[in-house]
Amino acid sequence: MIIPLRYNLRSLFVRRATTAATAIGIALVVFVLSSALMLSEGVRRTLGSAGKADVAIVLRKGSSAELESGVEDPQVALVKAMPGVRRAGAEPAGSGEVVVVIALEKLGASGVTNVGVRGVLEAAFTLRPDVRVVAGRRAAPGADEAMVGIRLRGRMKGLDLGQSFELKKNRPVQVVGVFDDGGSAHESEVWVDREVLRSSFGREGSVSSVRVRLDSPASFEAFRANVEQDKRLGLMAQRETAYYEKQSEGTSLFISVLGSLVAFFFSLGAMIGAMNTMYASIANRQREIGTMRALGFSRTSILFCFLVEAVLLSLAGGALGAVLSLAMGSVRFSMINFASFSEVVFRFEPTPQILAVSLVVSMAMGVLGGFLPAVRAARTSPLAAMRG
Amino acid sequence: MTTNVDRTAEVLIRIRGVTKDYARGGEVVKVLEALDLDVNRGSFEALMGPSGSGKTTLLNLIAGLDSPTSGTIEIDGQRIDRMGEGALAKWRSNHVGFIFQSYNLMPVLTAVENVELPLLLTPVRASERRKRAETALRVVGLADRMSHYPRQLSGGQEQRVAIARAIVIDPVLLVADEPTGDLDRQSADDVLTLLDRLCKEMGKTILMVTHDPAAADRASLTHHLDKGRFRA
Repeated sequence: MIIPLRYNLRSLFVRRATTAATAIGIALVVFVLSSALMLSEGVRRTLGSAGKADVAIVLRKGSSAELESGVEDPQVALVKAMPGVRRAGAEPAGSGEVVVVIALEKLGASGVTNVGVRGVLEAAFTLRPDVRVVAGRRAAPGADEAMVGIRLRGRMKGLDLGQSFELKKNRPVQVVGVFDDGGSAHESEVWVDREVLRSSFGREGSVSSVRVRLDSPASFEAFRANVEQDKRLGLMAQRETAYYEKQSEGTSLFISVLGSLVAFFFSLGAMIGAMNTMYASIANRQREIGTMRALGFSRTSILFCFLVEAVLLSLAGGALGAVLSLAMGSVRFSMINFASFSEVVFRFEPTPQILAVSLVVSMAMGVLGGFLPAVRAARTSPLAAMRG
Repeated sequence: MTTNVDRTAEVLIRIRGVTKDYARGGEVVKVLEALDLDVNRGSFEALMGPSGSGKTTLLNLIAGLDSPTSGTIEIDGQRIDRMGEGALAKWRSNHVGFIFQSYNLMPVLTAVENVELPLLLTPVRASERRKRAETALRVVGLADRMSHYPRQLSGGQEQRVAIARAIVIDPVLLVADEPTGDLDRQSADDVLTLLDRLCKEMGKTILMVTHDPAAADRASLTHHLDKGRFRA
């Protein structure tokens, strides 16, 4: 009882102008939705990939980000000396780091933006083996030099190799290197020597966070218990992966909710478009439908036939939108990360799941937009075949 | 003029006391009034009458496209006047071949795909469907037009495709609504000759509504309707 698919495909092709217009409307919705989901995924991956399972980050109790936290130098030594922290020779594998935010002028756009600056020592590189200098060299200890993450390079005034920027008023720092870190959020940071940063910002004697490499991921719970049971310290420990997950949560959620909302409102318009197209198509094909009914096709067959046609139409739009959104994969997008109040550069990350969701959404639009017209088609009397 | 039915032949269509009313603007319009009719198996009969006489309504009732307000319609021993919509659709798909004035082919399907359409309602396999559709097209003389779309055919050829579609399920009854109404004289003659052949050679029972006296002359029997009644 199934009317052949070629009937629907060719009917759509015959009305190609209206088919194309409707499909483009649906493509736009799918493009917006999948772009938003791809960006949200990009945020999650960028912020999330900075974390390692066997690294713990210690912050002042109650702090939700490094920027808000402060840990005294003596506490840093205590944390690094705790059981469960891996030792590289005599030295425990740990790094006390300072994070500040400075305002820099954007290039290619007006205004200033916040940039995260991380004060690090040699230990930071040991803790992050993926960090690699891709141009120039590392900043020398104690020198007014900086390395910029590859995603920031050239996006702000002074942030390119050989250029300089003001770390603080009248404290110029020269960029001597560019680094990458496998796509992590560190690539949107500027790294300088920790002591240079502390002296510039009057932060001597404390750091923002302490990172330690544990003997194994399983050592974390015992390490945390040790850190948090010592009430004198007033510190808390998190797995680095969990910390970054939390950092990305707000921004990622914001983007996907905003994108989905925009896509939802667009989809209402596109569905009405699909509905109109199907209504017009059905009105023009009353005799065809009547003939099918006269030949013996049931109402259900006709309903299904026109639902399939609406779904084919919306799938064509959905596929177009999904393909267009793939082109966004090469686009980089910078925005303020709500957790660190500094600009982070994200990529649109396409995934098979996102493409599948986009196609399912377009199919749903076809079903919803095509249902009422299909019901009308199914109600066509076989007597319509006899009308001239 | 209604010609007397040959009582010795087997009756395929038996209609008794059929009435059809329509409600129009709060008024009841009687389209058909207490009609009786017998049509023999294997005959080619015509229904004539002025516009609004009820001939197409009667054809619709016989074809199972509509139901009478009262009276009985029996086709091939089966009462169809009491069937529900779904049962009627199924019955049509097995028993009736339709030939319409405007051919009513699916413009997006080729000739052979159009002819295959009614077979989709049967359990026939795809390869067999295609074979039967091709045979039907050969019967109507369109073996060389199987892959043509309706827009690539003349009116007469379109109507012959429609006739192939009507006969492909091997129905007991062919109903034709003004089958020559949109055709030139030559094409009309060809179509009528084909219908005549289907009746004589394949034993099909054909009931045809027509305005055209020349078309009605090709039928073995003509029933005249006027204001919902057969004219004596």
